[in-house]
Amino acid sequence: MILDNLNIAGKVAVVTGAGRGLGRAMALKLASCGVDIVAASRTRSQLEETAGRIRELGGRCLTVPTDVAVSEQVDAMVAKALSEFGRIDVLINNAGGGEDQLGKPLDQITDAEWRRGIDINLSSQFYCARAVIPHMVARKSGKIINVASGYGLRGEKHNYMYACAKGGVIQLTRSLALTYAGDNIQTNCIVPGIFPHNERLMQFFKGGKFIPIGRVGYDEDLGPLAVFLSSDASNHINGQLIVIDGGGLAGGIAPTGVIPQLG
Amino acid sequence: MVRTEAMNDFLLSGRRALVVGAEHPVGRTAAVALVEAGAKVLLASQDPDVTDALEITVKAVSDAGQPNPPVHMQSAVLRTDSKTTVELAVKELGGLDILVTALDKPLYAPAETIDDAALEQVWASNFKSVWYASQEAGQVMLQRGGGVMVHINSVMAERGVPNATLYCAAKAAVLNLVRSLALEWARRNIRVNLLECSWLDVPDSPATQEGEFSSRLVRYLPYRRLLKPDEVAGALLYLVSPASAFVTGTSIAVDGGLLCRV
Repeated sequence: MILDNLNIAGKVAVVTGAGRGLGRAMALKLASCGVDIVAASRTRSQLEETAGRIRELGGRCLTVPTDVAVSEQVDAMVAKALSEFGRIDVLINNAGGGEDQLGKPLDQITDAEWRRGIDINLSSQFYCARAVIPHMVARKSGKIINVASGYGLRGEKHNYMYACAKGGVIQLTRSLALTYAGDNIQTNCIVPGIFPHNERLMQFFKGGKFIPIGRVGYDEDLGPLAVFLSSDASNHINGQLIVIDGGGLAGGIAPTGVIPQLG
Repeated sequence: MVRTEAMNDFLLSGRRALVVGAEHPVGRTAAVALVEAGAKVLLASQDPDVTDALEITVKAVSDAGQPNPPVHMQSAVLRTDSKTTVELAVKELGGLDILVTALDKPLYAPAETIDDAALEQVWASNFKSVWYASQEAGQVMLQRGGGVMVHINSVMAERGVPNATLYCAAKAAVLNLVRSLALEWARRNIRVNLLECSWLDVPDSPATQEGEFSSRLVRYLPYRRLLKPDEVAGALLYLVSPASAFVTGTSIAVDGGLLCRV
């Protein structure tokens, strides 16, 4: 029965960027469903807060402070996860950043900023996948969930690094999906719309006034999708972009929310 | 069954659902998934005179937990039937929260040979029927404060296939119908999404006829096998349930990665 296929209790998930935002929300949701969490991100204090909340839920959480843009640290994190839990069923490639580059004119973005941004948002996902895939291939089972962005599919003025990196994540998803389909590893990509994580962004997006559904995304909106993509209920879904954006990408050739009705 | 935390967002207790195309294997899968998650369903057919196929769905739905579900045999290409079906669903179920359509009638033929009767039929079966169901159910949902629609479609909505010109075009039309309806009704609490199936393991499909096409096709599929109808249940349940509350105007393909391919 289909509901039983959603049962993910006992699985082990690595969640990068689990110290805040979407990563934390997905980690908490999976933990509440009985999944052991390996929480990886740079800031130890944030990881510890995530871990504390997971333990309050009665779950297990291993925190591994990691700069996922550095492959040696990723390899060490995955090794530690395997030695602690013995398996990795799910990898959630969520870590990202560099939104501060958005809006910067071309000539003000340094080489270092560009490279660092690509490393954090794109190379990190490649490093993590490369590190866990031998283990998943050996077990003939695994779920990889990459987090991209609507900016990976559509352009925007003064959006270079972030758009390119997230577009790269989408293509990484497709290549992994095709390559490891025969090993029973499903790789899919969550494409979130507007999920503001601070008051400044919330005001900038006017609370979601221009999003078709009339609100911004909340971190908690992503939890059930992470559950679904981690579960056997999604076993024939592979290489997919799952857009979760309140309808934003469905439009794009006429203003929505601004002109609710034409004619 | 043990209820786990993972299931909570996917439960449909108290929801009333209309499944159109319930005689088809994927329509049957949808009906069973809806009932397993706690919804009550009315089963409507795509075509009249499908008593036997519909009976299989009735039995499956009964076994899933809704004994003797209401059934309505109809012709989904007729406006009057679609209207009657939606009215009946409201009457039998006490309301309408969910519409699922599994409406499909393939046409495989060289483009230069297709006559206007075939054009009319493929367009009516694959597009007009979805429009009628959406509009009739939408009017009810708008009056009653909202709802969810999922149209089960095909990966053909996304790509071209030789000798399937009109069929592909009609499927693509449904994709863009979904996007536009989703935008139009987003502020009125109706979500509309698409579920795209890969090549299904069903009789009467060129994918299951022995020969050059089917053997090459299977090697082309990332999973090296056809999609079993019951494998769409998870995506269907995600899209109809509160689990996808922030998802509208999009599509999920259940295709093993086929759409990633060149």
